[in-house]
Amino acid sequence: MTAVLVTLSLAVILLAILVVGLLRSHADILRSLHHLGVREDADENHHSQPAPQPRFNSNAPADIAGQTLRGSTVHIGVSGTDTRTLLAFLSTGCSACIGLWEDLSVDPTGGMTGVRLVVVAKNREDESQSRLEELAPAGVTLVQSTEAWQAYGVPVTPYFVLVDGLTGTTVGEGSAPSWGQVGSLIVQATGDRQVMERQAVETDRGEIKADAELRRSGIGPGHPSLYPDSAPIEGGE
Amino acid sequence: MRIQFHGIEVDVPQGWDGEIYRRNPEGLGGDTMPVMHLANFPLPSDRGDFGSGAVELMRSDGVLIALAEFGPDSVGTALFAREGFPVVRAEDFAPEQMQRPLPGQSGAQYFFTENGRSFCLYVALGSHVRRRELVPEVNQLLETVSVGLT
Repeated sequence: MTAVLVTLSLAVILLAILVVGLLRSHADILRSLHHLGVREDADENHHSQPAPQPRFNSNAPADIAGQTLRGSTVHIGVSGTDTRTLLAFLSTGCSACIGLWEDLSVDPTGGMTGVRLVVVAKNREDESQSRLEELAPAGVTLVQSTEAWQAYGVPVTPYFVLVDGLTGTTVGEGSAPSWGQVGSLIVQATGDRQVMERQAVETDRGEIKADAELRRSGIGPGHPSLYPDSAPIEGGE
Repeated sequence: MRIQFHGIEVDVPQGWDGEIYRRNPEGLGGDTMPVMHLANFPLPSDRGDFGSGAVELMRSDGVLIALAEFGPDSVGTALFAREGFPVVRAEDFAPEQMQRPLPGQSGAQYFFTENGRSFCLYVALGSHVRRRELVPEVNQLLETVSVGLT
């Protein structure tokens, strides 16, 4: 009987030591996390500060603002979004555009995958409104904005501009008579861009290299790590 | 970039989508009152006045703001008694307040009168958990909205 009691007492003491050890270890971990700036209630509160907005220089492709066919006022975000946008500058008066309009009525995406298609026509006073209503299929995002034509310096019709919203850059632009060829242009432009970035990394070209490496690490414009809470300390130890 | 239509104006931030339109006569109230949509993700062209068809595309950091005007008959009624734009609070959000509950998403709705015009403000967030992060963005944007007399 005594032996059993002694054994049980020893077991209780051992368990107590184990629990104390675990609690100390837990406290050490919490202290370390606190030291690193992580709070226990991070899920609820770590985002209490407003999310940083992507910042672009004045060369970033312009967002599109204009009117829709139903007469509403619309703004399409092009830079500062994680979407790639294909701007298709089409007109009712251009004979080369007819096939493109017709194909859109069959497939409102123009066969583009992973890209947001936005058709940009000119303002009401610069377009045949009745013809536009006839040609523009439902389900297509269409904005009438002569200002956008000017901002993007559209030289011919039809004309296409592919914008990478995450980096706020124009990936490629050009003219093509069919959606199939537009798709080829996109593939080519994307490939060229990747080659340029790769070469930049290989030849150690500062800014582009840094951008490419950050992007590969999942850090793009607006990433919280680019905007620390406190200003850097100058003249450190 | 500032857009305006039917006496409603707003500064749409870079990268955001926005539209102010008159809803179809078949819409709420059977009239053609204006509706404003703002979203930090691409808005599909085919969507409902309170964002159906769009909220389904929202990711966890998504925000959709819908401001719908009601007819003159609504002005002065108890539902629209609050004067002026509301300040959106994280505590106001609940998953059940989505028009159609979607996993993880959250919504809040406010009725008020501004400049003698009655409105419903509906805000949908891509993540209920991230509401404290997203709400300041909503209020920042709402501060730029102005409503004129019709």
